Amino acid sequence: MKSVLVSVAISGILIGNAFWFVSARPNTDDTNVGVPTAVIIDGKQVIDISAKGGYSPRRVLAKAGVPTILRVSTRGTFDCSASLVIPKLSYQKFLQPSGTEDIIIAPEQAQGTLQGLCSMGMYNFQIIFQ
Amino acid sequence: MTESELMNVPYITRAKSSLNTHSVEVTGDFGDRPEPEIAEELSGVLKRHGYTLSVEKNAHIVELADFAYALPVSVVIILGFLLLQKAGLTSFITSSDVSYGAAFVIGLIASVSSCLAIVGGLVLSLSASSAKEGGTWRTQSLFHVGRIGGFFILGGLVGLLGNSLHLGLTANVVLGGIVALVMLILGINLLDVFHFTKRLQFTLPVGLSRHVMNGSKHDHYLAPALVGIGTFFLPCGFTQSMQLYALSTGSFIQGALTMTVFALGTFPVLALLSFGSLNIAHKPWKGIFFKTAGIIVVALALLNFSNALATAGIINPLFNF
Repeated sequence: MKSVLVSVAISGILIGNAFWFVSARPNTDDTNVGVPTAVIIDGKQVIDISAKGGYSPRRVLAKAGVPTILRVSTRGTFDCSASLVIPKLSYQKFLQPSGTEDIIIAPEQAQGTLQGLCSMGMYNFQIIFQ
Repeated sequence: MTESELMNVPYITRAKSSLNTHSVEVTGDFGDRPEPEIAEELSGVLKRHGYTLSVEKNAHIVELADFAYALPVSVVIILGFLLLQKAGLTSFITSSDVSYGAAFVIGLIASVSSCLAIVGGLVLSLSASSAKEGGTWRTQSLFHVGRIGGFFILGGLVGLLGNSLHLGLTANVVLGGIVALVMLILGINLLDVFHFTKRLQFTLPVGLSRHVMNGSKHDHYLAPALVGIGTFFLPCGFTQSMQLYALSTGSFIQGALTMTVFALGTFPVLALLSFGSLNIAHKPWKGIFFKTAGIIVVALALLNFSNALATAGIINPLFNF
């Protein structure tokens, strides 16, 4: 019985660590300090995301209600991040292993938080319109 | 035969025998008599058929002790898997052209990447369950033959038709959910703590798991091979990327070879999972192995569930690797 308790305790600690390690922690810091902001070129907002073994940056701040282009670039990307899904836009596309993909986001869609993820859900990124 | 003989005993209401586990399960009104005495009496009934009955050791108390090892071991393995995801293995893929060598390396990486959660998890749950039910190496081999052969033919078709065979978003989510459900049931079965899932297993994925697991017994050559072919459609980013490349080749043979080489790259890890399970199933510490496998499979099933829900936009992603 003692060994069972010890094993449960060890497992508990390990599981706790694992969760801390991989949890998405979306809104733990509300300040958004150090989060990159999208640039506006010729009245159009451009958000650059690179996809390879995950998405980078994982969080981008952007202006709400502005015509926006989400530019996803791949470079020898064969993993899940090439299979991009944006549930809110009903967008799904399999990106070429190397190249860039422009996704148009209409001003009325550029609201709130836009979540993008790979089709298996392992990797994700957020665009926060404010 | 043994069943009907036992049913003839007045106080027995139900009898179910299993050749596989050399056991017979009887239900009935035994009063307060001790189990060994009942077993002896029933042995008398079966003697002329050459059987004797003995009471199974109180297996469940013994098995719970297995968790003392299985729990930490499985947690360490899961933690190792998560660390591996964080390690950025994908940065090893530097070229954007796919030579056959590159396809093999991509296969190797895919087999320890996020695809392991779904493809590896399914292989582990099916093969450990199969090994537990007395399946042989033939069942396992047929799965791998089906997988590699399926990748050859389907890869060729993708190249020839210039149309990728990956599924749409909804189908992907549904398939991910189904695979997670099958894994969850098989995983709980492997744990062998709840008896209700035993019944669930017969009703729910009847066509799939039952046939696959008992493949060797009933000489179902087809079922394990079909599941192997089916892995082509599992939501695995790498498989889909390779399909996209196979498609761009525009030729049957190039598409077929690319996908086959990729499948061969994933083979070592998957073979280790399936033939390893089979091997361990005959070791004295198999109880610990089945429990460990069960915990891992259940954890991966839950991960796949949450991922499928996140992809559907129903919940926010819980993980970010």
